[in-house]
Amino acid sequence: MKNELLHVFRNTPFGRETLFQSIYFCKNAHISLKVYIPKYKQFLMYFENEVITVDLDDSYLRDPDMAREHAEKIIREAGLIPNFIEPKSYTASTLPDIPVDFEYMTCPRTISNLSAKIGLGYIGPKVRHIIKNSSFPVIIPTPVYKEWKSITVFFGGSNNAGKATRFGIEISKTSGFPIYLFTQAEGKPRSYYEELLEQKGLLSPLKELDFKWLFFKKGDLKNNLYEIAHDTLVVIGAYGHGPIKEVLFGSMMELIQSYLPNNMLIVGPNCTVSFALI
Amino acid sequence: MRFSIHNVDKRIQLILIGAVVGVGGALASVVLNRTLELGRELISSYKGNWYLFLFPAIGAVLSTFFLIYIAKDVGGHGVPEVIYSVTKRGGLLRLRASFSRLISCALTIASGGSAGPESPVVISGASIGSNIACLFRMRDRQRIMLVGGGSAAAIASIFNAPVAGIAFSLEAILGEWTSTSLITIAVASAVGTEVSHIFQGNQIPFEGGSFSISRLDLASCLGLSLFTCFTSVLLMKLLRIIRKSSNKLISSPLLRAGCGGLLVGIIGIFLPEVLGEGYGSIRMVIHGHYSYGIAAAGLIVLGKILATCLTIGTGGIGGLFAPCLVIGSFLGFFYFKLLLLIAPSVHWAGEAYFALLGMAGVISSVLQAPMTGIFLITEITEGYQVLVSVVLVSVISVCLSRLFEPFSVYHQELAAKGELLRPRTDRRILSELNIVELIDQNYRPVRPDMRLKEFIEIIKETKFHFFPVIDPDDNRYIGLIHIDDIRAYLFDPRLYDTILVEELIDPTIPTISLEQELHEIIDIFDYSHDATLPVVHNERFMGIISKSKILDHYRKELIVEEEI
Repeated sequence: MKNELLHVFRNTPFGRETLFQSIYFCKNAHISLKVYIPKYKQFLMYFENEVITVDLDDSYLRDPDMAREHAEKIIREAGLIPNFIEPKSYTASTLPDIPVDFEYMTCPRTISNLSAKIGLGYIGPKVRHIIKNSSFPVIIPTPVYKEWKSITVFFGGSNNAGKATRFGIEISKTSGFPIYLFTQAEGKPRSYYEELLEQKGLLSPLKELDFKWLFFKKGDLKNNLYEIAHDTLVVIGAYGHGPIKEVLFGSMMELIQSYLPNNMLIVGPNCTVSFALI
Repeated sequence: MRFSIHNVDKRIQLILIGAVVGVGGALASVVLNRTLELGRELISSYKGNWYLFLFPAIGAVLSTFFLIYIAKDVGGHGVPEVIYSVTKRGGLLRLRASFSRLISCALTIASGGSAGPESPVVISGASIGSNIACLFRMRDRQRIMLVGGGSAAAIASIFNAPVAGIAFSLEAILGEWTSTSLITIAVASAVGTEVSHIFQGNQIPFEGGSFSISRLDLASCLGLSLFTCFTSVLLMKLLRIIRKSSNKLISSPLLRAGCGGLLVGIIGIFLPEVLGEGYGSIRMVIHGHYSYGIAAAGLIVLGKILATCLTIGTGGIGGLFAPCLVIGSFLGFFYFKLLLLIAPSVHWAGEAYFALLGMAGVISSVLQAPMTGIFLITEITEGYQVLVSVVLVSVISVCLSRLFEPFSVYHQELAAKGELLRPRTDRRILSELNIVELIDQNYRPVRPDMRLKEFIEIIKETKFHFFPVIDPDDNRYIGLIHIDDIRAYLFDPRLYDTILVEELIDPTIPTISLEQELHEIIDIFDYSHDATLPVVHNERFMGIISKSKILDHYRKELIVEEEI
């Protein structure tokens, strides 16, 4: 896995905000930024078990000659080295294949529809597809650039939550920001979750960091979400329970993403954790 | 115990899923056939109207509009996409490819565009196979077999020719004949043919009748092979020229397709045989219903070539199978008339015989797939009597056309981009290896300002032969030191305090980037004559790649290729 974050650049003021967000993440996670400036309306991402056609919103193709110049300027001013993806393979002459061996990817809430749709509770179908299939977590940034000063991981005990915690720990280590674990106990004692963390080898790495556990025995999750800091990076696992269970009982990620306006790092079911922690 | 497909033996799994894929591929072909029939009926009600020549243009525009703006797909007939997915992407194909081209192709052909329904059906069948494989979470090799199965089922059901379907899939799509892939593809092809029988009946598309074939007829095959070879080369070259020049001249895909369709419509005013997929014309030639002379037959061949290149080259959606058969049948007819002109007293085998051979020669050369041509012609005409002649024409024609066009019409594009990776070739096996897995991250970095004395202590402590020099401030890679290159300094204590590590760096050692393909890395090993090379990405040292590790993984990949 390359130690890089993939960013698809949109040459608009909104796209600029998203790029700022990616730059901030790269600086704090100590990774490089890789920018793709689309020249065609679609691109393909070949994941292990599915190929996703990303149909881009028209605004991604605005003034492509200036796009590179704009992106380069922003990245250089931020003190990073501008790196751009030039697709090597094409499935068809106007259908480039974008590599998928990245550590992270930034996606706004929608990549195929007009940015006017972006709002709390809405994640576009392509972005969902990418989250479900990718081997990297996806950063869903706030529409306006906002720095985060801590990391809050949602931990409910599942394997995916474990993976999310690993990513949280890694970012906390590299950024030096405190890490908070948010747990809404579902009738189980704190010791149960502690044991789970211990089993997954997460408790001692957490204790080595500036760590605080937001453990809620009582109250409604929606109300308890108010305790989450406004300037925290929310890290959460998604689609870990299978489609039927999620349709019947709802998805924790869906609920959280429709309530929290924070920057989010969503860890999908096929994410692989490559850093040395595990 | 709960039944799960994953508990079943892999071969049985592939047979069962192959049968399902066969049904899918056949249904795609049945749907397209029925839609084409409906379209033809609709268009026939306008017959005799002066504006009929505009229909191919209208159809081409509608077809392109549907493909680009509604199905959000890309142009082309799709077979190169299937081959690309098989060679480079483990058989992964987009779900939308299973229907998008079917509808576009129906609009193109029904309105009179000169193209065939086969290629769009092939990509539909292949995409169905690929997506069913993904649903069952099958591995790349298994997925590729099911893509092959879907393609075979599509061809088998559209022509009622199961063996031709198998041959096409193995020869043109997979590029290899192995017993394991043969089983899955054969099952899919057989099931596809049966499903097609249910919906369309067991019809022989172009029944040829019986022939009395003399030795002179067999000898004349050589002459026909020359004609089929040059006709195929002309078709392939003209298609490329029209595709390139139309892309340059007209940037709007809708306008481009419309202009192409309009020109086809104008040709159709004078030569109506060139319109549509042309199966009716083939039947008329084979059944001896054409009373045209040699000049008219030659003109139809040229007209059909031009109409096909204009339809497909300007963005119309359709395949080359049917146009090749039409061109081949008229070319055979033309050759028969030529033979009659040269030797009127000889009792030649007849126009149907030469039409069948012409079809076999043209299709084999254009696809560079002689087995497909041979089986297709014998199956769709039940002309087993002409098997020897068909083999002769197909094989000679393919061999000759390779001199002028080394790649088939499906492979040209991929070969030009350097992405045609045939099975069991070096590049194909190397492309399957993941460069990250080859990197050895077991190393000890050293600082550039370190003195030789200190460095010698590190050499004593470790067993490494290479030492990357890394800038301690920003982790930037500076260079690499190989122990063999500094041996002379190691035994001279006077230098211990005077030489710095950065002075020992070998500046000639090339670096490898994670973005390079493995065949490019092998080239670097070859010209540098090094056994190990550093991998540097974004100025950071990632590790070492050694030739021996590549060889080790290469061997493992070869073993995996043998498995299902």
